[in-house]
Amino acid sequence: MILFAASLLSPDAGLIVWIGITFLALLLLLRRFAWGPITTALTERESTIAASMEQAEKALAEAKQLQADNTKARRESEAQAQAILRGAREEAERLRGEEVDKTRDQIKHLQESAQAEIEREKQSALDSLRQEVADLAVKAAEKILHENLDADRQKKLVNDFLSDLPKN
Amino acid sequence: MIQRASTFLLLAVLTAVVLPANVQAAEDGELDALHHSANAYYLDFEPFGKVQLPRIFVIQHEDGSYGLELFGSTASAILNGHFVAEIEEHGDETDSETHDAEGAVLEATEEHAEGDEHVQAAGKYGGISLEQLEGHLVPPGGAHVVIDMSISRHLFFAWIGMLVVFVIMTRLAGMYKRGVGRDTAPKGLFQNLFETLIMFVRDDIARPNLGDKTDKYLPYLLTAFFFILTCNLLGLVPFGATATSNLMVTVVLASFTFILTQMGGTKDYWMHIFWPPGIPMFVKPILMPVEVLGILTKPIALAIRLFANMTAGHLVILSLIGLIFSFANIFGPGAGYGVAPVSIAFALFIYMLELLVSFIQAYVFTMLSALFIGMAIEEHHHDHDEAHGDHAADTNAASVLVS
Repeated sequence: MILFAASLLSPDAGLIVWIGITFLALLLLLRRFAWGPITTALTERESTIAASMEQAEKALAEAKQLQADNTKARRESEAQAQAILRGAREEAERLRGEEVDKTRDQIKHLQESAQAEIEREKQSALDSLRQEVADLAVKAAEKILHENLDADRQKKLVNDFLSDLPKN
Repeated sequence: MIQRASTFLLLAVLTAVVLPANVQAAEDGELDALHHSANAYYLDFEPFGKVQLPRIFVIQHEDGSYGLELFGSTASAILNGHFVAEIEEHGDETDSETHDAEGAVLEATEEHAEGDEHVQAAGKYGGISLEQLEGHLVPPGGAHVVIDMSISRHLFFAWIGMLVVFVIMTRLAGMYKRGVGRDTAPKGLFQNLFETLIMFVRDDIARPNLGDKTDKYLPYLLTAFFFILTCNLLGLVPFGATATSNLMVTVVLASFTFILTQMGGTKDYWMHIFWPPGIPMFVKPILMPVEVLGILTKPIALAIRLFANMTAGHLVILSLIGLIFSFANIFGPGAGYGVAPVSIAFALFIYMLELLVSFIQAYVFTMLSALFIGMAIEEHHHDHDEAHGDHAADTNAASVLVS
C-alpha cells in the first residue's frame, strides 16, 4: 500500500517529456487552427453587433426626431390655419363695420346736405319774399305818399320800418 | 413514490453491475484505491482484460553507447528477454518468485513450473504475470535505462484528451470560418456550448487579469482550460483514467504558466522581486529570498492543487466501493451486499461532486494562471507616495516574518 502510494508521486521523466512536447504541439496547433479563427470571428461578430446596435439607436433617434418634427410642423400649421381663419374673420368683421359706418356717414351726409339745401331754399325764399314785400310796401306807400315825399326818403322810411320788423 | 422506487432500482442495478466487476479485483487481492489511481503501462478494461501499451526506452549499454528499444507491450519487452521486471514486494502476497537483490530475474516462462495457479496468473497478461506487468522494467546486465519514454495509461488518456480538444475546436473553428457564428448567430447545441465556455475564459478569466494583453495569452489559457477539463472528465468515463491526477502532467502544465509568467515579466515585476521599492533598506535583503521563493511556490501550488483534487475524488469513490469488500471480508458476504447500496449511493454523490470539481479545477487553474501572468505583465504607473501605500502590506508581511 505504502509502495503504491509512492507510485502516485514518483517522478516520471518520460511522461514529463511526452506531455511537454505534445501539450506544446497542441497549443501551437490550436492557436493556428482553432483559437485564431474562433476569437477573430467572435470579435468580428461583436463589433458587427455593436455597430448595428449603434446604427439602430441612431436610426431610432432619427425617427424620433422626425416624428417630433412632424408633430411640431402639424401643430404649427394648425395654429397657422387657426390664425388665418381668425384673421379672416376679424377682417370680415372690420370690413362689415367699415361698410356700415360708411353707409351711415353717407346717409348722414345726404341728410345734412338735404337739410342745408332746404335751409338755403328757405332763406332765398324768405329773401325774395322780403324783397317782394318791400317792393310791394314801397309801391303801396308810393301810391299813398306820392305827393309829399320823394322816393328816396320814402324808401328809407320803409327800410327802417322793415328792419324793426322781426326777422322771420 | 415512483421516484423513490426507481432510485432503489437504480441502486440495485448499479450494485449488480459493479459487484461482478470488482469481484475480480477483490479476488486478485484487496481493492486498492491508490493502485487504481496510479499510473501504469496498460489500459484497464477489467473484467474484460488489460490492454498493454507500447514500451519505449532509451538505454545506455555497458560500453556507454546509447540505444532505443521499442516494444509493442510490456509482455513483449519481457518475453523477448530485453528487459526484466523488478517486482515490488508488498506484504506476504508474493514470495519474490522471480527476483533477487541483484535484479537477476527469471524469465517469465520459467515461472510456469511453480504451480497451476501461478501458471494461470503468469500467462494471463500476454504471457506475464500482473506483478511483472506492474513491475519496474530494467535491462539485464550492465545496461541501464536513461529515460523511460513508454506510453503510460495517463499519457494515453492525456493524448485522447488532446485529440478530443483538437477535433472539437477545429470543427468549431470550421463553423466560424463558414460564417456561422461570425455573420449570423451561433447555431446548435455544439457551437453554443463551446462558445459559452470560450467566452467565459476570455471575458471572465483572461480579460479582467490581462487587460489589453488578453489576445497574447488567450490561446494558452484556452488550451489549458479545455485540456484540463477534458482530462478531468475522461477520468469519470468508465474504464477511463484521469491524466490530471498525475503529478507529472500537472507539473508540466504549471511549468507552462511559470515560463509564460517569467517571460512576460516587466521591469517592475523583477524590480519588486529583487529590490522591492517602498520598504526600509534593511528589510530588502530579507524580503528578496521570500519573493524569489514566491515565484516558485505559485506554480508548485498550481500543480499540486490540480493533482490533489483530481486524485482525491477518485480515491474517495474507490474507498467507498472498497468498503463493500471490507464488510464482506469481515462480516461475511451478506454484510457486503447489505452495505453495497449505501456505498454506491455515496459513491454516486461523490461522482457528481467530481463532475463539479472537474469544471471548478479547470477554472481555478486557468484563473490562477491568468492572475499570475497578469501580475507579472502589469505596468505600474505610480509615484513614490503611492509606492509607499502599495508596499504597506509587504512591509507588514516582512515584519511578521522578522518577528
